[in-house]
Amino acid sequence: MREMTRRDVLKITAAGAAAALPGLPATVRAQTTQKRELVVAQGGDIASLDPHLSTSSNDIRISFNIFDNLTSRRPDGKLAPGLATEWKLQGQTAWVFKLRSGVKWHNGDPFTSADVKFSIDRSLDTSLKGNRVTTVLPMVERVETPDPATAVIHTKKPDPLLPARLGFYGGQMVPKKYVESVGPDVFNQKPVGTGPVRFVSWTKDDKIVLEASPDYWGGRVDFDRLIVRALPEMAPRVAALLKGEVDLITQVPPDQGERIKGNAGTAVNGALYGGLYVLAVNSKQPPLGNPLVKQALSLAIDRDAIIKELWRGRGVAPNSMIAKGDNHFDASLPPLAFNPNEAKARLKKAGYKGEEIVIETTAGYMAGDKPMSEAIQAMWRDVGVNAKVEVFEYSVRAQKNRDKTFKGLWWSDPTSTLRDPDGMMWRLLGPGAPQDYWRHAEFDELGNAARFSVDEKFRGDAYRKMTQIFLEHLPWIPVIQPYEDYGLQKYVEWTPDPLQQLEIRRFNFKFRRA
Amino acid sequence: MRGLLPFLASRLLRAAIALWLVSTVVFVVMRLSGDPVPLLLPPYAPQSEFARVRAELGLDRPLPVQYAVFLGHVMHGDFGQSIHFRQPAIRVVADYLPATFELGLAAFTLALVVALPVGIVSAVKRNSLVDQATMGLALVGQSAPTFFIGILLILIVSLKLGLLPTSGREGWQSLVLPALTLGAFAMASIARLTRSAVLEVLRADYIRTARAKGVTEALVVVKHTLKNAAVPIVTITGLQFGTLLGGAVVTETVFAWPGIGRLAIQSIYNRDYPIVQCTVFVSAVLFIVINFCIDLIYGLLDPRVRSS
Repeated sequence: MREMTRRDVLKITAAGAAAALPGLPATVRAQTTQKRELVVAQGGDIASLDPHLSTSSNDIRISFNIFDNLTSRRPDGKLAPGLATEWKLQGQTAWVFKLRSGVKWHNGDPFTSADVKFSIDRSLDTSLKGNRVTTVLPMVERVETPDPATAVIHTKKPDPLLPARLGFYGGQMVPKKYVESVGPDVFNQKPVGTGPVRFVSWTKDDKIVLEASPDYWGGRVDFDRLIVRALPEMAPRVAALLKGEVDLITQVPPDQGERIKGNAGTAVNGALYGGLYVLAVNSKQPPLGNPLVKQALSLAIDRDAIIKELWRGRGVAPNSMIAKGDNHFDASLPPLAFNPNEAKARLKKAGYKGEEIVIETTAGYMAGDKPMSEAIQAMWRDVGVNAKVEVFEYSVRAQKNRDKTFKGLWWSDPTSTLRDPDGMMWRLLGPGAPQDYWRHAEFDELGNAARFSVDEKFRGDAYRKMTQIFLEHLPWIPVIQPYEDYGLQKYVEWTPDPLQQLEIRRFNFKFRRA
Repeated sequence: MRGLLPFLASRLLRAAIALWLVSTVVFVVMRLSGDPVPLLLPPYAPQSEFARVRAELGLDRPLPVQYAVFLGHVMHGDFGQSIHFRQPAIRVVADYLPATFELGLAAFTLALVVALPVGIVSAVKRNSLVDQATMGLALVGQSAPTFFIGILLILIVSLKLGLLPTSGREGWQSLVLPALTLGAFAMASIARLTRSAVLEVLRADYIRTARAKGVTEALVVVKHTLKNAAVPIVTITGLQFGTLLGGAVVTETVFAWPGIGRLAIQSIYNRDYPIVQCTVFVSAVLFIVINFCIDLIYGLLDPRVRSS
């Protein structure tokens, strides 16, 4: 048994005094609570409750709790059983999922393999109005249901990542009978799932109210009601936390973290983002077609300074196009180097003649995008690059993204939805993908082979070779893998998720009670 | 009330033309400003998806056709289906209206209740300490950005003093700070204008006559001054009321108040054409109705307006 320290004695004395003297400052009592209601504030309201109609982070924080997936991506990055208890690959293209028994929908109907087939078919259904997830499970050919407790998913080609795909958006299971009887509109307004909380009400741009599902298969959550409020402005969101009106807030920028930590009853908890912040490069635009120029740009960026000054240390420097925490991340590679002299040498070797190089950025679509652009512009000018920053609006960015008309470099925050290079780097940089501005025959061949191989060793080798090619050609210049910070009351015991989900199931959320 | 009918008819005609112009301008501007489809789909969606969603939203049709369809529907109060909410736009906007009215009316009442007495007292006690202090404050209220006032009130009143909630819409307590923030500008404007309008009348000959006749000062102010000073005050008050109902974007954002200002701004970012068209239309209707009411009140206050 651990010996009692002086701090423990102080804690116990303080807790005892707080319990005995209700007049004591709230700060001392704030470490525990008797609350039965969890109040969360996020930066925007939800758009829809039907999980097939949205991929936005504000929406999935709710929908991943009303609904369950067959597989569950845990905050530690591992894939755990969800509505499926086990799954295995049969041959090359058939995945067999054994379903959890005794699971009920919030309206009392039993969950069966017919719901699995219905959900996957619906996610692929382009005639479903507003369907936003038709591209999540493109490799699925058909779903068979040999019995109510088994679903067999056949893919067109081998798909090593199918269980991972089923664990993220597009993979939520929806009730066949209910959706068919009430129709998509009512389902979107009054959703029924199998998840730990069930829907009560939604007041637009104000709050959504959910209540604990008493018989949840994963154990009843540690509260009776969950209220998610939309507080768009950062300062009022932080104020609401400091005053104790809310228990947990999302999207805390680094400079607000100090304030939250400085308050006795509140704390900051962050998860390393499951993805990277990169400057994507239009390699078709001279002189960015020259690998030496891109190498020089990367070498001229002082990532440590950016992390320390702009992010208050809340981030790490990437070493490749694979995010830390993902499959096949190579921890033995050093972080991308800062070497201004070498940058100058490579620019000279490349024959760079002072052509203008443009960074296009929004002011705030991505945390810190504009200040980071300005810092990098200064760093590039220091090595003789004629760098320019152009600010544009978010919707202009979306348009340019679609038309592929970026002028030089632009910010992208690729999310590693499958925690695997295929779900991030390859889906964006692959042939025909949204950030296809550069091609390399060997890179393409390796990327395709890795996508369709169920041999993880083969895939590992492929990604290692691709990393070497990537580091030479730099279709992205990775800058930072930041922390996603949350503010919370100290009586909240909760681990944030790298993919922006709000995991409040029993294994991950608890109120510290007196 | 001779000439009331033609007066009403001409006003209504003007209102209809204004509404048509407003909705046309919004229709054109929204379509010039960009495409909503890239904002709706995940960044890696294929081109075929873009085409599918564009067709689903009716955006693949030629602009004149879209405009004709739009006008036809507006006549029936149908602004189309919201792209973002996937519900009829008019229903979404109707959901937000109560909160807007609540905040607008509270801010307006607060502004009036404070500004009128302050303006009158300042005029009557011209150049006194009270006058200088209140007009100084009014200057601050008029020049400080709403955003600044809002955050300041949250920090001081909610956080430091712990008196009122920081944001949200729950009970009357949560209405106080947003109403004060939103009403600050109107309060200051009305107070300053009331002061100058009352001052002007106080200098008039008939006031000197009233005083000479021995009418008490209170009666001079209440009976002789206020009614004559009312026309400019009613004008600015009406205009302010319209602004309070339609222009609460910043206040609504700071206090997370679910009103149509915030809805409009969100919808502009989302390129949600139907909602933007509907909110602008509804705001325009409100403004026009208020102006219409002001015209009627003029008529009551000043018979010369009626006969002209």
